[in-house]
Amino acid sequence: MLLQANEAIARGALEAGVIFAAGYPGNPSSEIIETLAKASRDLPIYVEWSVNEKVALEAATGASFAGCRAICSMKQNGVNVVSDFLTNLSLSGTKGGLVLVSCDDPGGISSTNEEDARAFAPLSDIPLLEPSSPQEALDMARWAFDLSETINNIVMIRSVSRLSHSRSDVQVKDLPDFDVQPYFDTKVSFHTFPIVAKHQARHEKLRMAEELFENSPFNFYRGPSRPELLVIGSGCAVDYAIDAIEIMSLWERVGVLKLGTTWPLPRKLLLENLQKSESILFVEDVDPFIETNVKALAAEAARQVGVKTFHGRGSGDFPLCGELGPSHLLEFFGNYFDLDWKDQEFRNKMGSLTKGKIPPREFGFCPGCPHRGSFYAIKTALAWDDRDGFVSGDIGCYTMGIWPTGFNQVKSVHAMGSGSGIACGYGKLEGFGFDQPVITVCGDSTFFHATIPALVNARFNNADILLVVLDNSATAMTGFQPHPGTGKTAMGQPTQPVDIAALCESMGLEVHVGDPYEMKETARRLYDLMQKQGPRVMVLRRKCALVQGREGGFPYDMHVDQSLCVGEECGCGRYCTRIFRCPGLIWDKEKKKAMIDQVICVGCGICAEICPQGAIKKEAKG
Amino acid sequence: MEQTTVQGQSNLVREVLEKGICVRCGACVGICPYFQYHDGKVVVSDWCQASTWRCVQVCPRLPYDRASLYDYFYHVNDCTDAIGPHRQVVAARSGDKLVRSAAQYGGVVTALVIFAMEEGLVNSAVLTDRGGDLAPKGVLCSDREAVLGCAGSRYSASAALSELNLAIQAGNDRLAFIGLPCQMEALGRLSLSEPDGQERAGHVELKIGLFCTWALDYRALRSYLKTKGIVEIPKKYDIPPPPSEVFIVETNNGRMEFPLSEVREIVQPGCSLCEDMTAEFADISVGTLEGDKQWNTVIVRTDKGMELFEKALRAGVLEQKEIPSSNLEHLKEAASNKRKRALRARGEESNE
Repeated sequence: MLLQANEAIARGALEAGVIFAAGYPGNPSSEIIETLAKASRDLPIYVEWSVNEKVALEAATGASFAGCRAICSMKQNGVNVVSDFLTNLSLSGTKGGLVLVSCDDPGGISSTNEEDARAFAPLSDIPLLEPSSPQEALDMARWAFDLSETINNIVMIRSVSRLSHSRSDVQVKDLPDFDVQPYFDTKVSFHTFPIVAKHQARHEKLRMAEELFENSPFNFYRGPSRPELLVIGSGCAVDYAIDAIEIMSLWERVGVLKLGTTWPLPRKLLLENLQKSESILFVEDVDPFIETNVKALAAEAARQVGVKTFHGRGSGDFPLCGELGPSHLLEFFGNYFDLDWKDQEFRNKMGSLTKGKIPPREFGFCPGCPHRGSFYAIKTALAWDDRDGFVSGDIGCYTMGIWPTGFNQVKSVHAMGSGSGIACGYGKLEGFGFDQPVITVCGDSTFFHATIPALVNARFNNADILLVVLDNSATAMTGFQPHPGTGKTAMGQPTQPVDIAALCESMGLEVHVGDPYEMKETARRLYDLMQKQGPRVMVLRRKCALVQGREGGFPYDMHVDQSLCVGEECGCGRYCTRIFRCPGLIWDKEKKKAMIDQVICVGCGICAEICPQGAIKKEAKG
Repeated sequence: MEQTTVQGQSNLVREVLEKGICVRCGACVGICPYFQYHDGKVVVSDWCQASTWRCVQVCPRLPYDRASLYDYFYHVNDCTDAIGPHRQVVAARSGDKLVRSAAQYGGVVTALVIFAMEEGLVNSAVLTDRGGDLAPKGVLCSDREAVLGCAGSRYSASAALSELNLAIQAGNDRLAFIGLPCQMEALGRLSLSEPDGQERAGHVELKIGLFCTWALDYRALRSYLKTKGIVEIPKKYDIPPPPSEVFIVETNNGRMEFPLSEVREIVQPGCSLCEDMTAEFADISVGTLEGDKQWNTVIVRTDKGMELFEKALRAGVLEQKEIPSSNLEHLKEAASNKRKRALRARGEESNE
């Protein structure tokens, strides 16, 4: 069966008899819950998208305390969100097997940061497993629940983007009966007191795990008994090392200790293998986690294992940031063994064939995206106000407001909901003479995840914040997962939607609702709101363009009347393609006029409003 | 926004907007999307990259050879009359009580515009609306009611030329424009500008200018009134003639007076560079008649202006009387003083 690692993890959890799954969407983890949600159609399991990762883990823990097996998945940032609960949960312990899956994103390909969530394993004293293949992901997921119940604590599995989304052939086992009876044994309690004693007990649990890890099939050595260079690594990085060794035929000279159990480190296994070579290379993503811990181990045991030369990220051989890729390994081995591995002739040929043919592409909102309309209205209102106003941003597709597609309006982006939190700061600076208007943006999903407390704070402390909720009825950036405002759950059940505007009104905030497609009107209303004080909310409601596309499409056929188009001349200056930048608008180089790309344009019609010559025409379809 | 170093727009931004001397005439707005007017201010909304520009040619705050305008409109090299070239100066008022009751003083502007429409001389007119929560703005009027709705004096600028620009671009012809001296000058510059200024200006059939000493920054006015406890929209403003030094504000709660010295602080800085009090490049210029709230001072300048004015008199739409010589003297003195102050401020003091 061809499965990606995320699907394999879901399968492994089912094979272990998991009946409860919760998470929050976040690339590269989302497919785990999505796969389980699909499976819930045929299996007696419960799967939910929670409002945020902390609640997700807490909900999964409820199932565990009631004796059932549960899984919770998220991206690296989600582990930050659960950290307060996690560091307490690992003290209280668990009952039914409970597994936390963190899918990290080395290089931050689809994230706001690059972070190695493995740090939470030593921080919370919990076992950590790192698969290197979809098969291993399945086997680890299945086994992790047994481990969790053996030590009565939560177990962490850590995947990375490249692995989560790679498919390979996977052997599956049968599914169990799923015959569970949740029951909370009231003779037992799950708290963290006495703290130090429980902390001590937590260390004991780790020692139990370490003993199991010493003989784990997830760790193995391959190579000569006395290699010139010993590679120690995990995850995808160790796969690349093995690939490079194959390509350069280095199996006589290099050995690989592949680790799948990376916290606690199986010390006996490591000490045994460290003696094989004087030269050690660590390969892992992102931080030198294994490297630093093994260096400490080697220092303690120096008399036993001898003096080593270490190579890796922490030793200057690879960058301390970014993904470790196959070329890093090829480069390293090439230099270390003085081998010429680059086929420069091939490279030159590739270079000349591709030169100039790959157009530079910037991040952009889809054609028809309501955020384009929202940011255009915000830009216009801030320009009219003329007091150097700006936007405090947040996480979602609208994060792209930091780039030209969103007219470079957004000036800060950090964590979920942090745009509103930061705005609470700006909102109390008026007394010091601060008069720049600040518009805060958040999406509908982000609103529920993290913005609400900041908004309550604004009401409580009477901060001057103007929050624009970009309500496109979806958690769009991560793949249109449902959220509390959409009226449907992960399992497809209808549910009472939480009304953002009503919720804000109940807090005593001034609330307005508008349509981001009506850009001029929205700009006028935002300008008026900017002149006021106190916490104010404007909800801009219009479905995500991709959702609209699926639900039947858009109303207009668009074209540019080139006889009216003024193009580069005074009066226009390529306003639509240079400033507005919807991908549906393109520049006809020969005629030096704008035109509609009929393949890309969806027909939302809003660009007709922005042409200074009225050359963009919209006609109702049909 | 990333700034470009292209000339044209960046000249206007550097020499006018950033120096704070924009008078919000609106000549640069409505031709393109890069300048916009909203609530009393002209702002840059994006950076233009065209290589020829209409905006710099028409801005009244950029240096210009005034003689070329005198030549174009009046076929003279210069004008030493303090109130500019003209055929006659009289006092006049509307013959219609309804118009007079809506008006600030004699209602001449409103009466003339309505008459010009009814006579078919113009199809529509760009005037300035009353404003409210937001600053006044230009409005295209096509009937009597709309024009009446604009009656009364504004004490702040409205960038009404932006509405005129839009109306011309939309293909409207035979337009009337009612505005301030700076706007009349901008329209004059438009007539002499490339590539199509003369053609655009040709859509304007009638220009009625308003006397103006200065205009207030509306946003600053709004803040000022707020500090005085006035949050509702005033119905009327007035500045009685000297020696009175008050600014009168009428709201639904009554009539208040404020020291003119305080109000002068919120005059647009750019106004101090303007030498024209009586709108020298209009067809007809209209202002107060000091000491007589029922009448206006009317300066008729061009053939077109004369024709319309006389027709209006014959139709009873307007009544006229001789302007007292003391009024005319005061008017010329005030106009001359404004000119002197402006030339001094511009560093162009003359030997007059």
